[in-house]
Amino acid sequence: MQLDTQPAPDFQPQPLPSRPARWLWAWGASLGMFGLVLLFWYGLVTWYRLPPLVLPLPTAVAHTLWQYLIDGSLLPHFGVTLSEILLGFFGGSCLGIGLGSLVAISPFWQRVLSPYIIASQAMPKLALAPIFVIWFGFGIMPKAVIAALIAFFPLFENTLVGLQAVESESIELFRMLGANRWQLFLKLRLPNAVPYLFAGLRVSIVLSVVGAVVGEYVGANKGLGALIIASQGMMDTPLMFAVFVVLTALGMVLYLLVHACERRVMSRRTRIEPVLSREPPTPPYER
Amino acid sequence: MRESTLPHEAEPHETVMDVTTQPIPPKIAVEKIGKRFHNAAAGTRSTRRKQSGTWALQDINFTVSDGEFVVLVGESGCGKTTLLRLIAGLEPPTTGQVRLNDQVVLQPSQEVGFVFQRPVLLPWRTVLDNVLLPTELTHPLPRRADRQASQPARQQALELLALLDLQPFAGHRPQHLSGGMQQRVALARTLMLHPSVLLMDEPFGALDAITREQLNLELLRMWHHGKQTVIFITHDITEAVFLADRVLLMSRRPGTVAAEFLIPLPRPRTLEMRFESEFASLCRAIHQEMGLMRHDEQA
Repeated sequence: MQLDTQPAPDFQPQPLPSRPARWLWAWGASLGMFGLVLLFWYGLVTWYRLPPLVLPLPTAVAHTLWQYLIDGSLLPHFGVTLSEILLGFFGGSCLGIGLGSLVAISPFWQRVLSPYIIASQAMPKLALAPIFVIWFGFGIMPKAVIAALIAFFPLFENTLVGLQAVESESIELFRMLGANRWQLFLKLRLPNAVPYLFAGLRVSIVLSVVGAVVGEYVGANKGLGALIIASQGMMDTPLMFAVFVVLTALGMVLYLLVHACERRVMSRRTRIEPVLSREPPTPPYER
Repeated sequence: MRESTLPHEAEPHETVMDVTTQPIPPKIAVEKIGKRFHNAAAGTRSTRRKQSGTWALQDINFTVSDGEFVVLVGESGCGKTTLLRLIAGLEPPTTGQVRLNDQVVLQPSQEVGFVFQRPVLLPWRTVLDNVLLPTELTHPLPRRADRQASQPARQQALELLALLDLQPFAGHRPQHLSGGMQQRVALARTLMLHPSVLLMDEPFGALDAITREQLNLELLRMWHHGKQTVIFITHDITEAVFLADRVLLMSRRPGTVAAEFLIPLPRPRTLEMRFESEFASLCRAIHQEMGLMRHDEQA
């Protein structure tokens, strides 16, 4: 038997498609899927002759959406809902991070607060919406409170887990270096919790959208949720679907914004930093 | 404690002489140290708890003089790490006490540097910022942006990194470095505060043999330069003999110092020394003693 040390002439490594090509392919497939769903929807309506009250044609939805967009009547509703979402998100996040930190660093407060926090989550928060309407009226406030209550829990949990997921050796290192509790928190626990915080933020921004819209269902005169209820009353199903589209787009954009912040912060943690030194260091002794 | 008879005891190392002839107190004195861990299954009543539990360490006495390099050798599970943690002040002993500079150790001291089994670097900091961590914690800097204020510390950190061949990686993140490099960063970080005592808990145990040899040499180089008092833990007899002025052999059940060996090899040590007969006979003596201990345990 002869051993051939030369590579076989027909063996050529297949070049992988370039990065932009792969990227385009993936996005193209994703868009194509969307097109297929629309096509299926269109087919369903025409095949079964569904009345527009039950399921409007995608073209009808697009038409309604376009009309509402150009005459600007969607904008005030959009603004109200967006401010409810953002208020709720910021309020709930601050509360979640604050209480999570308190419970994580203090065993006393953990014992005092955890029953209440679990109880607050066990109780269905949307059930509180009617009383919030009585307390805070029909304005932005009750919806923001509901959104905050819903957004609170993922951040609380993730803050707690992130702050406590510190290796015991790291804590001992800080103890050996004489760090106080404040330094331990700021320089070890908090930076360690940052990935957990972002995971929590991503969940709670989406939950804030849910909280705001469902809050509007209960009692509101403005907002996208109120518009859905109104369109139900007017039997204007295309309008309802148009609002669904807007809400979905809004949720996606908000999620992507949080995700972009996360990627930015996390990539800062892995990049190589230039080390500026005024003079080249000289070893204190020769080898 | 069994006293060993070694072929080269005619010329003991000078630092060891200090312990016996000088009246000055030793750098570190471990006095009648015992440590008992409570069994989780034991009763909760205090009277029962007092009698239950396992003694991880019992009746350990030894002293380390200033600038001495002592290596603790023992099988895994003999309480080496626990002993080192007691000396560091990370845990209180059940009985006895540890003295550092004639002061009873009650809590960790900044004079003591501890090198852990793993590098324990903070992944969100660059190598340089990891090395600067001790300075940051002990002399809080005004602001991160105010780099000028920290310039001397930065310079010192860069010098330490240069000394350990890590200067090109100062701006990298620790997770991009190999295990040996990470452990060298940990060593540089420990040296930032100029500790007079280094406690090292199998720092090179997880590394491959070649990297470990290199790091042993670098450690000795640092030690010659800084003249720290070192207590080093390992389960590798060759590493122990290579590094040490004195090797303490620990036994298991109860964990105690069973034998002591002086290592009269000349310094600076070189890797070639390991192939000399003197080195080999020292290793053999420790190995035999270890075997005897195991035999006693089983009997």
